Amino acid sequence: MYITLDGVSRQYGSIWAVDRVTMGIGKNEFVSLLGPSGSGKTTLLRIIAGLEKPTTGRVLIDGEDVTDLPPHKRGVAMVFQEFLLFPHRTVHENLAFPLRMMKLPAAEIAERVAWVVGILSLGGLEKRYPNQLSGGQQQRVALGRGLVGRPKALLLDEPLANLDRELRQEMEVEIRRHQTALGIPFIYVTHNQEEALSMSDRIAVVRKGRIEDFAARTDIYDRPRTAFIAQFVGRSNRFEGVVEAGGQGIATRCGAALSLPAALPPGREVQLFVKNEKLRLEPDDGAGAGPNRLPCTVKDVILRGAYADYILAFGDRELNASRPRSERAFLAGEAVIARLEPGDIDLFDTDGERPS
Amino acid sequence: MRRRWAAALLLGVPTVFLLALFVVPLLSMVVLSFWRTENYHIVQEWNVGNYVTLATGGAYVTFLIRSLVMAGVVSLVSILIAWPVSYAIILYGGRYRLLLTLAFAVPFLTGEVLRVIALQGLLGPLGLINAVLMALGSAPLRFIMYTNVASAIGLVYLYLPIVVTVIYLSLLNFDARLIDAAKIFGASPLRAFVEVTWPLNLFGTLIGFALCFIPCLSATLAPRFLGGPNGTLYGMAMAQQFGESGTWALGAAMGVVLFLTSIVAVLLVGMRVNLRRTGFTGLGRG
Repeated sequence: MYITLDGVSRQYGSIWAVDRVTMGIGKNEFVSLLGPSGSGKTTLLRIIAGLEKPTTGRVLIDGEDVTDLPPHKRGVAMVFQEFLLFPHRTVHENLAFPLRMMKLPAAEIAERVAWVVGILSLGGLEKRYPNQLSGGQQQRVALGRGLVGRPKALLLDEPLANLDRELRQEMEVEIRRHQTALGIPFIYVTHNQEEALSMSDRIAVVRKGRIEDFAARTDIYDRPRTAFIAQFVGRSNRFEGVVEAGGQGIATRCGAALSLPAALPPGREVQLFVKNEKLRLEPDDGAGAGPNRLPCTVKDVILRGAYADYILAFGDRELNASRPRSERAFLAGEAVIARLEPGDIDLFDTDGERPS
Repeated sequence: MRRRWAAALLLGVPTVFLLALFVVPLLSMVVLSFWRTENYHIVQEWNVGNYVTLATGGAYVTFLIRSLVMAGVVSLVSILIAWPVSYAIILYGGRYRLLLTLAFAVPFLTGEVLRVIALQGLLGPLGLINAVLMALGSAPLRFIMYTNVASAIGLVYLYLPIVVTVIYLSLLNFDARLIDAAKIFGASPLRAFVEVTWPLNLFGTLIGFALCFIPCLSATLAPRFLGGPNGTLYGMAMAQQFGESGTWALGAAMGVVLFLTSIVAVLLVGMRVNLRRTGFTGLGRG
């Protein structure tokens, strides 16, 4: 592995902000650290950067133990959420900064800055100061400053959080493209699951300082390993219930009958998640409730463009379904049947783990 | 319409205030400096005699040069002390930061005269420092007894709180995460200071310099109580013209000289600084 974290922990007072994290990141990998705010993902990134020292554990970059190395000797670069461009330096000087610190000859500095200005379309802005740029331009300069020194790894700390949605999606594509072109690992911290899903090869879900799971992005989304991931990644309907006699079905607390993909011991308390887009909607045929058939009333329809979010009333609880607009549309007040397949259910014990 | 009234009121009051209490007295001083005084009477007779006296007669040029050197040295020393102190408060002050900065105002609770006299009691021949030294059998430190060094110590003591406060405020407004950014991109801690911390706080440091330099230039109390025979400064000599000698017109001319010197000094320093290069963003976009 190109970057290795070996039992890395960081303690603040009595709190472990990062707790025994062990992970390996490949040379060509785009990895996201995804977690809610305060989960320790930024601390983890700062430990890799050398801005924080781990209380215990080791950090290895390119085979070298850098645990005790200060940030300026690690050869990694970083893009910050607040950009942190040097306000007293022009765009050109900001981009040249890492190269000047590397003591490169002036000709090479000029050449490399020109290269990065080119790939990030910053032409014509070189003489401006950061406060004369728009947010998107500042972001590109920050990214350029990160790439210009050809670092061993680029660390990105919520770099798109301060941009508006359209610009963000544009930048997602661009960042991924630069990563592929440069062939260095990008480690991307975010609380935004869409960003993590759209760019990453692998996603590490961080919770309370621990890595909840570190897996390919499709696995994180389609086969969440814990209830926390099921809840945090994607949007889901959560059910609680008890396995019925026979072990094939579940009676949920809200009164639905669901059939299971695999048998479980009867009487066991479980929690289940069904992603919003897995709930299929059909017009009510009058046949009533059945296994995996939940008669609902449409309470509200939220138009999202390519798809529509339905808020459904099932008994006295709400369900959420997300359907493409190419399907039959339903109106508020309509009676519908929400259907799901046994394979669509993510099932966990009450402690959040997959039942063994 | 209401906004225009508000603007006129808010800008008008300080304008009137400044005109009445700053510009008018200054102008009257300029006028007085071109008259002359005789036997404690003002004679309204236009002449440049006062300026000729200041340029040629007596020790006035010496006083002015001494004052300039004194103010320069005191301001530099104050900045050298204030930087690490302010930086330490920012870094380690934690929740006591505000308390620590307010502590710098404590000396201001007494009057300036009292503070200078207290210092005299510390530095003088029978002062605390030399009394202890002599009691221990050592020779007293002559260079702090009624000398220019003693004056400088007094002036540093008087104006250091202001310099510390100004530099502290500058550092408080400084985004220390820029240091992290500099380090990430290959700057050692010292290099990060030179590249980022110092230039981005240069503006604040210069304000601290000006706020120390200008009052030091016209200092009267510290040289009078601490300075000794060779310690006469321009401000002190000026105060004498208005007091014992009763040569008000000459004093007024000295005031004009001091005023112009201060302006020139501030301009000289100011012109060497490109505000943009200090991260000053008050210039607006474009």
